[in-house]
Formats: sequence, C-alpha cells, structure tokens
Amino acid sequence: MSHSHELVIKSSMSRPPPPPPTTNKDQQRQNPSLQEINIKLIQSGEKERLKELLRERLLECGWIDEMKALCRAFTRKKGRNNVTVDDLVHVISPKGRSSIPDSVKAELLQRIRAFLASTAD
Amino acid sequence: MSSKINGHVSPQPCPHLLDFRSRNGPKPFRALHDCIRVKPPGGCAAIRREPSEVPRCGTCEESSRSRLYACVACAAVFCHAPLLHSHASDHALSIPGHEIAVDVDRAELFCCACGDQVYDRDFDAAVVLAQTVNATATTSTSGSTAMQCSVAGSQPENLRKRRRVDYRPWEPDSGEHISRGNQSIPLLDATNASLVSSTQQPWGLRGLNNLGNTCFMNSILQALLHTPPLRNYFLGDRHNRYYCQQKNGAINGTKNSRLCLACDMDAIFSAVFSGDRTPYSPAKFLYSWWQHAANLASYEQQDAHEFFISMLEGIHEKVEKDKRKSQSPGGGDCCIAHRVFSGILRSDVMCMVCGFTSTTYDPCVDISLDLEPNQGGSGKSSSAKSLNSCNVEADCMHPNQNGGISTLNGCLERFTRAEKLGSDQKFFCQKCQVRQESLKQMSIRKLPLVSCFHVKRFEHSSIRKMSRKVDRFLQFPFSLDMAPYLSSSILRSRFGNRIFPFDGDEQDASNDLSTEFELFAVVTHSGRLDAGHYVTYLRLSNQWYKCDDAWITQVNESIVRAAQGYMMFYVQKVLYYKESENQGTS
Repeated sequence: MSHSHELVIKSSMSRPPPPPPTTNKDQQRQNPSLQEINIKLIQSGEKERLKELLRERLLECGWIDEMKALCRAFTRKKGRNNVTVDDLVHVISPKGRSSIPDSVKAELLQRIRAFLASTAD
Repeated sequence: MSSKINGHVSPQPCPHLLDFRSRNGPKPFRALHDCIRVKPPGGCAAIRREPSEVPRCGTCEESSRSRLYACVACAAVFCHAPLLHSHASDHALSIPGHEIAVDVDRAELFCCACGDQVYDRDFDAAVVLAQTVNATATTSTSGSTAMQCSVAGSQPENLRKRRRVDYRPWEPDSGEHISRGNQSIPLLDATNASLVSSTQQPWGLRGLNNLGNTCFMNSILQALLHTPPLRNYFLGDRHNRYYCQQKNGAINGTKNSRLCLACDMDAIFSAVFSGDRTPYSPAKFLYSWWQHAANLASYEQQDAHEFFISMLEGIHEKVEKDKRKSQSPGGGDCCIAHRVFSGILRSDVMCMVCGFTSTTYDPCVDISLDLEPNQGGSGKSSSAKSLNSCNVEADCMHPNQNGGISTLNGCLERFTRAEKLGSDQKFFCQKCQVRQESLKQMSIRKLPLVSCFHVKRFEHSSIRKMSRKVDRFLQFPFSLDMAPYLSSSILRSRFGNRIFPFDGDEQDASNDLSTEFELFAVVTHSGRLDAGHYVTYLRLSNQWYKCDDAWITQVNESIVRAAQGYMMFYVQKVLYYKESENQGTS
C-alpha cells in the first residue's frame, strides 16, 4: 500500500500544478498592450531617454548618414523642388527599417524590458 | 520656389499656408506659442497643450504613431502615416482651412494637403525664442569672455563689422617713387634672364639649408613663404626691415629692441623671391627665434607645430603698439600673423539638467585635431562618452563613413560634435548653482583667411612618462568647405529646421567671405618621434613641389595624397590664384 502511495505522490509531483483560472483583468496585467506600454514610457520620461539613446547609436554606426545620403540622392534625381517630406519618408522607410543593426535593436529591447520589469505592479 | 534672405534660402509658403495666414490675422500661430515645450538638455521643442499631455490620434486613439500632427485651426491631433492611413490628411481634406498642422514632437509646420513641411517666420521665431530663453546667459563672469546667447544679442567690440573703405586705384607716393628707382631690381631682363626662365620652377621656390636638425623650421618657413596673404604682405613691402630697424634703433639702442622676427621674415622673403635658386641658409632667422623662444634654443629637433605657434607669437609681440588698433587677436587688427591666421572658436557648455548654456568665444590661430582611436581598441579614445548603458558591440561602431579611413572632414565633424563631459568634469551651472553634468560643443564663429589644421600625432603622457607617435593615415581634401563647422550651421542643426536667424547668423563676419578653402601647403613628418624628418609639399600653379630642406622637386599629386599629413594649410578660395603656366611674361 505504501508503495502505491509513493507512486501517487511522485506522479503528482512530476506534473506542474494547473494555472489558476484567469479573469480578463488578470490577462491584461500579464500582457500589457502596446498602447499601455507606450503611455507608461512617455509619462515616466523613459521614451525620451530611449529616443536619445537610439539617436546616439544610429549616429555612431553611420545609419543616419546613410539615410541622409539616400535622401540627397533621391532629391538630386527628382529635383529639389519636386520632393516632399512624405516622399522622403516613403523612400527611406523600408531601407531604414531593415538596416538597423541587430545590436541596437537588442539593446533597446533589453532597456524596455528592464524598464517594464522595474515598474511592474 | 524659394527666395534668398541674407544669403539663406527661404522656402515660399504653399497656397494653403498663404490662405491660412490671410484668414487668421497678423499672428495666426499665437495660440501655439503657449504650447511650445522645450525639453532640456537637447533643447528640442515639442507642442503640448499640458506639459504632461500624451498626444493621441482623434480618429484611431493611437498614441504610438511616429508622426502625430495637431491641426493649427482646431487643435485636434491626428496621426499621419501616408502608406497605411493618414487621419491627418482625412481631416485636412474634409474641412477647408484645416490643412496646416504642426508636428507635436518636432514643433515643425506641415501642410497635410501638400504632404510637405512648410515654414513660417513668426512661428519659427517663437520656437527659437522659447529654446534660447531656456538657455540664455544673462551675466558675464569676470575674467572670461562669456557672452549673451540671446536672439538679439549685443556685439562685443572685436566682432563689429569693420567700416568699409572705398576702392581707390594705387598710385605710388613720393617715397615709393624714389625707392622704386633706387633699391628695386628688375625681375626679368636680359642680364638675369638666365637665373629665372619661364620653363623652370615658379617664383619663390628656393631650398633652405638644414642648419642642424632644423627641418622643423624649414618646413614651416616654406609653408609661410607661400601663404598667399602673408607673401603678399611682405612682398608688398608692408614691413620694410630697413625702416623698422631705423625706427627701433632710434627708440633705444639696446640689442633687444633690434630683434624683430617680422624683419627677419622680410629678409627671407626677399632672398627666396629674388630669383636666386641656390639654397638659402636662414641663420639670422634661427638666431632671432632662439632669442625669442629661449627654452627651445638648441640643436635638437623641435616640434614644427610648436615652432609655428611660437613664431606667430614672436611676430605679434614685436609689432608696433598702435593705440588706434585693437590689441585683441580675434579682430586680426593687431599684427599680420593674426590677420592671416586668427579665427574665433565658439564653445557652448550646456547643463544637462536645466538646459542653461554658457557660451565663450576664444581666438585661435589653428585647430588641433585628434585622430580617431584605433579600431582595435588598444589606443585611447579622444572623447570620453560615459553612457550608463550596456556595452556596445564592436561591429556596431563605424566612426567614419569611408570604410575605415580617417578623413579631415571626419576629424572636423568630431571636433564640432556635442560631447558629454565626464563626471569628473562637472560644470558649474549658474542657474542650478551646483556642478552638473554637461554637454560641450565647439564650433567656428569666424573663419581665418588661412586655416591651419594640426593633427595631433605626438602623444605625450606625463603619467606614463612616455611619448609616442601616431602614424595613422589621414585623408585630406584639396578643396575644403568649412560651412558645416560654422557656429551658424551647428546652431541651426541644434535648433532644428528653422528659418529664423539667430545670433550666430547675420552678424557673422564669415558671411563677407566664402567658406571655401583651397589646400596650398602640407607639412609631413616621417619616421619616429625621436628620429624623424619634416618635409613640406607646396601647391603652386596647380603643381605640387616637395621641399625637403635644400632640395626642391616637382612631384605628382598622388604622392601628396598618400603622404602623412601633420599640418595642413588651407587658404580662402578667393585669395588663391590658380596662376597661369607662364610666369615671367611682361
């Protein structure tokens, strides 16, 4: 009898306990929306600091100069008076997004995660 | 499509902006003035109705869009992402008169109908005012040259424009008539035609004998002998050594009063431009310079740059003290050395807590530039950026654009970059009344006639008691535009896209002259720190000549491009004559 008791205990110990039933509110707290994260970042001033950090990193790795060169080349081709801000944003956005160095992305993600962890309720 | 005001291109308003202005009275953006928020220390301006407002698109409620615009007519905020959707454009097109909006994060006007940025003088004026009110120095500390950084600042004496004089063609006066007859030698006639032939080297090329490790002096002298404004000054008899000695002798008969480096320069100019091609020994000059810089008087090799500075000082000291002229080097009125080489540097130190900026102006006769630290990480870095973030991987660091080659422009860009001062160099902020971490930025307030760039290749560490030479190659251009490094450009990039002029602008003396320079001399150093050799390359009539002490040879420009530049001399393009091939024609 003791043998099967042990077995029962062992098998129940090897299986993790089922998660408690979650309400809608709990779900939100575990997975904050992009909107909520953004507001938290802005209100605490962290977004501004992250922007500064990002600007610095992108300057160091030549990304900003690269984008400037793209804008210049495009403007030269189309003519100075035929280019709008929207045109430029449209032209450099895909190249810009894809050429951000992975290390910069990683650094910023880490900062954001750390910030969220430090301000979690 | 654009007009010029004071030399700056001012974009024409779009029809929607014109319409808006005509319908909304003389100050259509007045309501926005109260919403301008300046975030120190960068000084960026944003638009917020309340300081803690989180702007959100009125249509989709999103606050995380990268471009949010507030309609100037009704203050409603919308997002603008033309590829996906633009609620800002929807708003603009749905209500006439609501086309003009303002970027809430950049405080820049935008026309949603045209899809382009627009500019308005009054609005930009208000933004710049808000940014500078945040950073105005109101008191000047004693002993320093701190000045107001305000929009309509007062000008110190040495920066006021010099009164222009009407042009009169030259006529020799009686004295000049006589000296023309007596002392002058015809430059080209039958007797000395054999000395100078038009197929030979240009005027003023003459080797200088090495008097014992004096290549440091010879190299600088060669560069100065062909510095256009300096050459013109001495060849134009503006410092006549005979008259000068007479005068000095008359004042007091002591030996020291007869020491005048400018007189010795005059003698060298006369000798070098006489047409005689045999190498010249500048012994008198060396002796005079030893007397001036006694601590450097020896037969040891000296630093060419140190010699250059000491020589300019020597010329400045012995200049006749004219009470009418200002003595400050910045104005350039004191002596020919400063008239040619002196520019003005501007230094801004910004408190990172409150944004208060302290501005100082200092004259300088050259700019010393750091070479980049070694890519491998073994060299020490020139600017200590102490960020409290995690390590940046090496592959992310690309300090220069040209695939690993250091360039002069790269050095100048680094020189004028905003730099965080280390925590051990906290600056005393007058507004906060405590030492705070600060941001420092250099820029050029006034360009000299001749820009001398000195590359810091010799590192002396007093801590480690050793010196070493940095052999790193530096690429330098033959034509250089200094516009991006001017205070006006640096300030403009700091404040963003504004068309309102601010104090670095109109009163700029450099507006009178262009910002384009031409290279005319390169002093190079080869060898080790303790056993090296200086050589100068001169550019005359678009040919390059190598001046190696007594030996002068014509060289291909590729040799010069590949040389290890130590000091580069650039002259304002307007003063640089691309002379014709024939030299001795009447």
